[in-house]
Amino acid sequence: MAGKASSSQTSVGGLGSGAVSHVFIHYPPLRCNIPGSRGFYYDDGNKLLISPTSDQVFSWKTVPFSPNAAPNIDSITEGPICSIRFSLDEKLIAVQRSNTSIDFLHRETGEVFTHRCKSESESILGFFWTDCPSCDIVVVKISGLDLFAYDHASKSLALVETKKMNVSWYVYTHESRLVLLASGMQCKSFHGFQLSSAGIIRLPKFEMVMAKPEANSKPVLASEDVYIVTVYGRIYCLQVDRVAMVLHSYRFYRDAIIQQGSLPIYSSKVAVSVVDNVLLVHQVDAKVVILYDIFSDSRAPISAPLPVLLRGFSRSDSFTSRPSTKESESLQASDSNDNESIVYGDGWTFLAISASSSEIPSVLEFLQRRKLEANKAKQLCLAIMQTMILECRPITMVAKAMDVLVTSYAHSLKTGTYFKGIKTERTPSSVSNVSGSGQVIDVNTGRTDGLGKSLQRESAPRVNSVSASDTEDSSSLEPSKISSNDTQFDGGKVDIGAESCTTGNPLNASVSDQQESQLTSPAISPDEMYKFVFAPIEEEMIGEPSYLVAIILELFRSANLEKVKVHPNLFVLTIQLLARSEQYAELGLFVINKIIEPSKEVALQLLESGRQNFQIRKLGSDMMRQLSLHQDYVLLLVQDGYYLEALRYARKHKVTTIRPSLFLEAAFTSNDSQHLAAVLRFFSDFIPGFRSTSDFFTYYHILNEMNSSSVVA
Amino acid sequence: MGLSSIGTANEEGVQLCIFDLRRGQREGQELDKILYFFPADLPLSSQLSVIGLSEGLITFTRIFSPDAACEVIEAERHSHVFYEAEPDIWMVMIVAKSKEAEAIWRIDALREVLKEIHSLFVMFHGCIRTLLDKEPGGGLTRAHLYPFVMDYLRDFLFGKKLQLPSFRDCLKERRTVQMLTVGREAAIEVQTLVRILESSAGNMPCFSLILFQDLLVSTTLSPEDTINMFTYAVLRLTPLALFSGAKSWSYLRKGNSSSHVSTGSTLFSTGSVLEQFYGSRDASPAGDNRYHVTRPLQHDKWFKGKDGFLVTDIWGGDIGSLNVTTPTVWLQQTEERMYLCAYQYKSLTLILLIPLSSILNGDQGVSIVKQQLLENASLKILKVEEKLSKGWGGENAYHVSGYRYLLVNGNRDISRASPPAKVTTLAKESLLALNKLREEVDAEKNRAKWDNPGREKDLEVCIRVKNNAWAIACITGGKELYMVLEKANETLLYASDAVEKFSNRYCNGAFSLD
Repeated sequence: MAGKASSSQTSVGGLGSGAVSHVFIHYPPLRCNIPGSRGFYYDDGNKLLISPTSDQVFSWKTVPFSPNAAPNIDSITEGPICSIRFSLDEKLIAVQRSNTSIDFLHRETGEVFTHRCKSESESILGFFWTDCPSCDIVVVKISGLDLFAYDHASKSLALVETKKMNVSWYVYTHESRLVLLASGMQCKSFHGFQLSSAGIIRLPKFEMVMAKPEANSKPVLASEDVYIVTVYGRIYCLQVDRVAMVLHSYRFYRDAIIQQGSLPIYSSKVAVSVVDNVLLVHQVDAKVVILYDIFSDSRAPISAPLPVLLRGFSRSDSFTSRPSTKESESLQASDSNDNESIVYGDGWTFLAISASSSEIPSVLEFLQRRKLEANKAKQLCLAIMQTMILECRPITMVAKAMDVLVTSYAHSLKTGTYFKGIKTERTPSSVSNVSGSGQVIDVNTGRTDGLGKSLQRESAPRVNSVSASDTEDSSSLEPSKISSNDTQFDGGKVDIGAESCTTGNPLNASVSDQQESQLTSPAISPDEMYKFVFAPIEEEMIGEPSYLVAIILELFRSANLEKVKVHPNLFVLTIQLLARSEQYAELGLFVINKIIEPSKEVALQLLESGRQNFQIRKLGSDMMRQLSLHQDYVLLLVQDGYYLEALRYARKHKVTTIRPSLFLEAAFTSNDSQHLAAVLRFFSDFIPGFRSTSDFFTYYHILNEMNSSSVVA
Repeated sequence: MGLSSIGTANEEGVQLCIFDLRRGQREGQELDKILYFFPADLPLSSQLSVIGLSEGLITFTRIFSPDAACEVIEAERHSHVFYEAEPDIWMVMIVAKSKEAEAIWRIDALREVLKEIHSLFVMFHGCIRTLLDKEPGGGLTRAHLYPFVMDYLRDFLFGKKLQLPSFRDCLKERRTVQMLTVGREAAIEVQTLVRILESSAGNMPCFSLILFQDLLVSTTLSPEDTINMFTYAVLRLTPLALFSGAKSWSYLRKGNSSSHVSTGSTLFSTGSVLEQFYGSRDASPAGDNRYHVTRPLQHDKWFKGKDGFLVTDIWGGDIGSLNVTTPTVWLQQTEERMYLCAYQYKSLTLILLIPLSSILNGDQGVSIVKQQLLENASLKILKVEEKLSKGWGGENAYHVSGYRYLLVNGNRDISRASPPAKVTTLAKESLLALNKLREEVDAEKNRAKWDNPGREKDLEVCIRVKNNAWAIACITGGKELYMVLEKANETLLYASDAVEKFSNRYCNGAFSLD
């Protein structure tokens, strides 16, 4: 799947800056020259690109993709090759030689043994390796599944279990661990199994929808028309209906398969892939790619169709064992020359696309779900937010955008993904466990109306549905094998989650952009929100203080809702803005109702802004007192001339750090000899040795003078 | 002429007059001074003698204190309360003293009534001086003042008697605002609503006030304008004020509105001849009709329209056809006339004030703003009402058991007090003692104001009353706390502990000094 590379990712700075690129091809491409190559295979279990020759197997790691990497070379015995897959520990290479036999090569020792079907009537359709605890390899035959365990000692396969059924063809992806077995006249009846490290789950049998072209004809569903895709940790199946020209989607639950609606198609030839949780529908004949974000309720594409450039290209199957799981790597091989191939690794980036969309809150939502280029998505979100405010967009719209970012941050905090990239301490994730077990009861009781329930869930508000992808993230923090994989509970519905980006399991790491950046989540913390959105525009927004206050208020609202702390400087900024526009009534209410949370900085700012307004100053000094900032409060009282009150307060709260001369000076300037005498007396009584200090003598002298002069007068 | 002669026509009643010292200085023109007199049926000669006496006292005391002439004269049987509303325009209230009739007053409380009358008048009609300048004859001013003050006083009418704030009201503070305590989340919602409300008028600079029940939730007005608008809202606009007959627990509306209809008429209608006199003293045959006078304090004139907006025909128009003139008020802060739009949803009353100058096509423009408001804010209003209702503890929400208190924040003109129903459980002796204590504190405060302007005085007084109750007053940093503790321990330590506890719990420790 090649794309046109007019690479420009530099649209971070602004909205709609005319970026047209949607594909970024990693350059240089992987070039290889393999004489006698029999084509390419893609092993999605190990993410290996495999090119066998008659007696050798060349394999490249595609994650991380390096164009200069030399291939691993293994020798195999000569013979036909139907398919080839490495075992998950990469110690064995399995090569299907015919529809009755599979050869196994031990890479270290070079030993080979052959597995054959028992009866000639049986025919092998294919096989795949699994990390299921009870078996290692699954062989799909027209009569059903054979599950084998590999016995290291005897170097042979031991049959563990057989699942009997008629199979016309099958599809499997390692990411979903899901195998779908087609049967029936039209091949539209499906059995499904998920074989994961948590065990084997048998899905209920289901039928796919096929439109009839005429009354008596019955089209047959082909394996090329069914794709298993994994989006946001959920597993879907997409089925091309060539007659109706639609793409049906089904979502898999542990106990149900529910149709999710359809997408139109514009080409009889369609390929489907997922990049960074975005569904790409390649309309091959129309030479366009249409992008969908299945997460949002809308079935509208997230951007205008993007052009596809096809070069000497037959069909992606010819290079990969299963075309539907290309991950971030789209491959192109030029088969014009048998011996030479060029493979490009395509890194798709959706940032440019989203920047040109007009529905800003949904764009932010989309960006916040990006995992591939989290850092870029984050930068773009910040820039979008800033631009919105600078352009004084309607408050309701900015509020929605704020909600998106804050919710996303709160979510990432809960699941720990926010800290993953930042390398600070992780938040304990017992939460997901607790809620999970709490839901088990729901599952049992709710089973009778399971179908209706899950349908309901789909239309539930977004906040709820976010939890669906929770599972994906939360699993990464949990050490237990069980939870790190496929069965997760989700809102009363048992959900078959897909293999998640488990950090502890390098074999399965599906989407890793570690070479790109450390960030795994584009979530924006309140500190970043302040530093990168509000602080830079503060100066520019001086002319619109009330607008900016309204925006900050919306941030407070979202943050409060999600129980997220906002940056304390925002409180100070709010005071400055309100005071600047002389909205003292509001400022008072903000403080009294603790919309502006009390802190020393806030109190000081209130005192500062209160120079023009007595009430505000009062709020500042009250806050000082309430925060038990005793010394500051006493100083403030003295400054304002309330030195007697200050003394009283200092005595009560044992403030001893303030020089007596400060109080004496204040009493002296008030020109009240009685008060001065009282202050002198106070220090004489409470500070041992005060009578011998110079302060005492100075003011005692002054006091005497004051008294004698008043007598004369 | 003795003071006693004044009361003859109205032995136990109240007299209230407004006069202008700059008018009627020549012999034979004395009547010119009188701008308002209650009761209106008092012979003009008696009215003149009351005003003459007051004028004499003002002139005399000005010799010693030019800036602040007399505040009160205490005679044997009457108290004369003075208030200089505007330069040389005085309001004087004369109340009879009588132990039996419970006629024991706190002078400052009575002066607050005078202040309230004047501030409200200014809010609707502008300064008295401006009116006088507009029409030097004084007819215009009298035609405005007379119905206005009459409508105002009707709120104090119980049976045939005017009941002014007495010692029984010593745990209340007029000219302050009572606020609803809200949590942070609700406060944020309210503030976002304020933004939406004020944005309904586009880019015009406007103001808003939000009340829940009879309590203030939010204001963007200056403190003075807030008090006036709040007072008017509680008197006439909030749901409790709107549905007459509903029992109110706000001290601002102590009167029972049904009594106005039946007996109120006797006191006020006797002046009908004089009403004509006031209206037509300038010998105009047209009488009242000469001036188009709006009576914003008229009772039962506000209704809730179908769209949720409150409507009235006070400012003209026909309520039936819904084609009414939008009310206007005058703000002190901006010195501008504003359209008043009031919207009500359940217990929530929202008031939006839009400058007249910013709306070109009058009522039509206002209705566009209203439409905008409905479109933008309806959902938010629903949400805020729900939030506030959830957190609302009912009319006894601010009751603190064991305490009968009044808490005044003089810095912000806010007060909070024990609910009136709880205050009535106090013995008369306790109330009298606190009333007396408050008088002393008032005097002390006034003295401090003169001695040391701009400085606040701290003060703490605990008095053991004959019935073994404690009457307590604490003043610190502009905040005042008054309380009565009945059935309390006899030690002073107990009393000050009680204050400390209350202060820490409900006042953020503002009164916990020693």
